[in-house]
Amino acid sequence: MLDRVRCLMRRVWRNLKQSPVLCTAAIGTVAVALTIIAFFGIVVLNVQQVTRQWSQDIQVIAYLEQSPSASQIQAWTAKIKAMPEVEKVVFVSRDEAFRRFQKRLGPDAELLEGFGPEILPAAMEITLKPPYRNQAGVGELVGRLRQDANFSDLTYEQEWLTRFDAFIGLLKLGGVIFGGFLLFAALFIVANTIKLTLYARRDEIEIMGLVGGSSMYIKTPFLLEGALQGLVGGLLAVAGAFGLFQWLLKEGLAGFLLISGIGHILFLSLPQQLLLVAAGTALGLLGSAASLRKFVRI
Amino acid sequence: MIQICNVSMSYQKDSTALIDLTIRIPKGDFVYLTGASGAGKSTLLKLLYGAEKPTRGQILIDGQNITRLRSSRIPHLRRRIGIVFQDFKLLNSRTLFENVAFPLEVQGRKRFEISTKVYQALKHVGLHGKLHRFPLQLSGGEQQRAAIARALVGDPMILLADEPTGNLDDEVTQEIMELFKGANARGTTVILATHNRDLIRQFPRRVLLLDKGRLKEDYTP
Repeated sequence: MLDRVRCLMRRVWRNLKQSPVLCTAAIGTVAVALTIIAFFGIVVLNVQQVTRQWSQDIQVIAYLEQSPSASQIQAWTAKIKAMPEVEKVVFVSRDEAFRRFQKRLGPDAELLEGFGPEILPAAMEITLKPPYRNQAGVGELVGRLRQDANFSDLTYEQEWLTRFDAFIGLLKLGGVIFGGFLLFAALFIVANTIKLTLYARRDEIEIMGLVGGSSMYIKTPFLLEGALQGLVGGLLAVAGAFGLFQWLLKEGLAGFLLISGIGHILFLSLPQQLLLVAAGTALGLLGSAASLRKFVRI
Repeated sequence: MIQICNVSMSYQKDSTALIDLTIRIPKGDFVYLTGASGAGKSTLLKLLYGAEKPTRGQILIDGQNITRLRSSRIPHLRRRIGIVFQDFKLLNSRTLFENVAFPLEVQGRKRFEISTKVYQALKHVGLHGKLHRFPLQLSGGEQQRAAIARALVGDPMILLADEPTGNLDDEVTQEIMELFKGANARGTTVILATHNRDLIRQFPRRVLLLDKGRLKEDYTP
């Protein structure tokens, strides 16, 4: 058994040594293809972060005609908080609303001279749980609130929500289509590069078959070789994606992120990096398997 | 014993390579398969080593019907058969030793056994002094002798040769034929496809003459 494993490893090593150019080409193809996919993944990851940040602004505000008593505030807060869509409820008194308004006006706050907090209504600011931060979620919550006469005056940004939903939908669809396309393109290119390496060794494959090599005996070193090339390509892709992340995203998008209110830009997490390396290995393996089907017919 | 019973073979609907062949080759026989180009010699050899399957008929080798073999069993059939080609089919990137060791490696034999048998096989064909040479460093005759060593190293019961002397001059052809005769004398059944009539005249043995896929004559000169 040990002899066979040693022999197998020797054959894999000899194959790699025999055609260094093709071997490098296969590794390079996997690395480039996966770097592009990883870079796209990083962009999606960070756009998701931005949209998550934006979605925190999705609120429903219920304006109250009268300033409620402390017990009413407590009862309403508890009632609203019990609704499934609600994450947080904050009561904003007239005084608090007036203070915020003054603050927002900044140097123009003097315009409010002669006015008091009674010009603004008290309100309940309702923040939704992340899964409900969309048009449908807001719609459900508003419907539920309207059943209570105390919350008849509701405000939420309908038009902004519609656009936000459309943007997220487009982003997801684009991600699936572009990501899927990239993955298939990568598989196609890798399979063809490996086909070239097999084509260069077609004589060896033919002779192995003629002298009694089983399909498994012939294929195993090539599959291992493909997997090894994919593994190295995957590792290089992680390094390549990190390089692009440093040069293009981190530097280039710093200003945009500041405006978006995001302090830092994300790179792939460790499990995502491992997934990328595993994807490289799988690409190499599948590429080899697909090409071998054509060359080994025993 | 090889029994070929009513075998027909066509690659396409309108072109038939072999038509209703019935041949019996006893164990240890030496047979020439002859005929013009396209007569079906190579096709018959391919059927014998399982590279093709007949469209009709059965082929039995030592009682085993090879036309019904699952593809996973074909390698086991080929380990009992040595094959020699006109173009030698040696790997130019491997030494002579590595080329001849190939069939034994494939069978998973131990390294010591491989070394011993490969040396013996190369000694038998007179190439034991060139173990570490590469095929392109050898003459055509030497390459064919190496190919014969590779075919015989696993002690096959059948040796198939497809135009093995086609690229060689007369003197080298004599040497190669001596090797085939030697293998046959040790009990290996030899089937040699050739269209060279002089060869048959020089080394007379049983002749199967194919003509357009049919067995035209079966005689011993």
